[in-house]
Amino acid sequence: MSSSLVSPQLVKAKSLSCPNCGAPVELRGFAHTLTAVCPNCLGVLDASSPELQVLQTFQGKQRVQPKIPLGSRGTFDGTVYEVIGFQQRSVQSGGDFFSWDEYLLFNPYQGFRYLTEYQGHWNVVRVLSRLPEPAMARMRQACRVDGRTFAAFDSMTAATSYVIGEFPWQVRRGEEAVCRDFISPPYMLSSETTGGEVTWSMGEYWPGRKIWQAFRLPGAPPYAQGVFANQPSPYAGKVGSAWRTWLWLNVALFALMIVFTFMKGNHEVFRQDYVYLSGKSNEAAFVTPSFQLAGGDKNVEVGANASIDNDWIYLNFALINDETGQTFDFAREVSYYHDSDGSEGSRNNSVVIPSVPAGRYYLRIEPEMSPTSPSTRYEIWVRRDVPIYSYFWIAAGLLLIPPIVVMIRSTKFEGLRWRESDYAPASSGGGDD
Amino acid sequence: MINNPLFLLYGILLLGATGYLEYTGQSFSRVNQQRVLPKSIRDNPGAYRSTYGGYSRYIGGK
Repeated sequence: MSSSLVSPQLVKAKSLSCPNCGAPVELRGFAHTLTAVCPNCLGVLDASSPELQVLQTFQGKQRVQPKIPLGSRGTFDGTVYEVIGFQQRSVQSGGDFFSWDEYLLFNPYQGFRYLTEYQGHWNVVRVLSRLPEPAMARMRQACRVDGRTFAAFDSMTAATSYVIGEFPWQVRRGEEAVCRDFISPPYMLSSETTGGEVTWSMGEYWPGRKIWQAFRLPGAPPYAQGVFANQPSPYAGKVGSAWRTWLWLNVALFALMIVFTFMKGNHEVFRQDYVYLSGKSNEAAFVTPSFQLAGGDKNVEVGANASIDNDWIYLNFALINDETGQTFDFAREVSYYHDSDGSEGSRNNSVVIPSVPAGRYYLRIEPEMSPTSPSTRYEIWVRRDVPIYSYFWIAAGLLLIPPIVVMIRSTKFEGLRWRESDYAPASSGGGDD
Repeated sequence: MINNPLFLLYGILLLGATGYLEYTGQSFSRVNQQRVLPKSIRDNPGAYRSTYGGYSRYIGGK
């Protein structure tokens, strides 16, 4: 039915007087209204007869001001609904007491909708005309409707603590109903049992600003506190997506590594064996024959392999350009120890010197060992333009950060959601989608 | 990929940086560069004082 048929001017409220205080009582729900509440004395009136018999008088002291005034009109899915009733429902569990608001919306052609609000979280609710099927989800009680599985979230006994406006049922303050909620964000399936009658309804989470837009209300909606049961996770679908992105970036990183492995010259330009003679704390420095480093500014790897056993050798190096005297000064220790518990160190060590210009070079080497060390054979080698794989490992590690952060945030969000549940999983964690 | 544009950008920048470091042959190694060294060092290598000479050596073990 088109909303244009429900223009505000066509709907006229029926006005009666409260038999308790004489104040005017407007009825907007036509023949659907069974109970009305006097806006002045808050007496609950029987609206099924023109006499408006008083069913319940208001004994409370505090009036509740609905955030959306009665008579407000809002558009939902292209249909204009009017707020005709408001009730506040409360739950007392142990020492905890909390309440939420329910607004009854009416359109003469489309019937009723409900709007619930708890700490700034809103749901647009419609009554289901069919029964959900019982099911199981992740070892938890669940229900299925329209091919969607709803996980059990909580159950409680809620009492109507405040009413105003009109209702298509016999409303009473203090009336209790057993409520059960099942969730599949952004939807919530709820059952209410009152006197053996079970009503199922389906709620859809709406952000407050959308509700404010629908009713064209001034100002801003109340701030949404915490995470609501069926609030859609801002990380829904992002964890899987982040890991897929991570996978593709790793494929690209691996491809880059392959490219550089083949692109790099990685030529050996020098290799020579030497012997360290025992009985000295350090041997006289010596120089190697010169060798050619070709190409432009490329790296050079200088390495040492030593036949040591539970010992160390320290090598002071200077890579010297034979022509210009430009010197790269560095040192490396080779140490290797082992016993029955295992081993530590290595018989090999190397250093990569970045951006070494082309030219003829030689090495000045100054070895050092313990005075008690035996004579030791060691080998010095030099490679030009070597790939450095550590960059790829570091990049791979850094690529892990975003998906892990998204996963932690998603788990935290789901943890906050399920913290309030009667069926919280042990980890209170949640899935992705 | 489209769901994570920031992650994608971060990844591309990271890959770019990795490629740049690899291409230019950068290294984390501690190397001192001394520009002026007399040619006599080749004939008298003991005359050169290494930056890393004189450090206390690791003499431990298991």
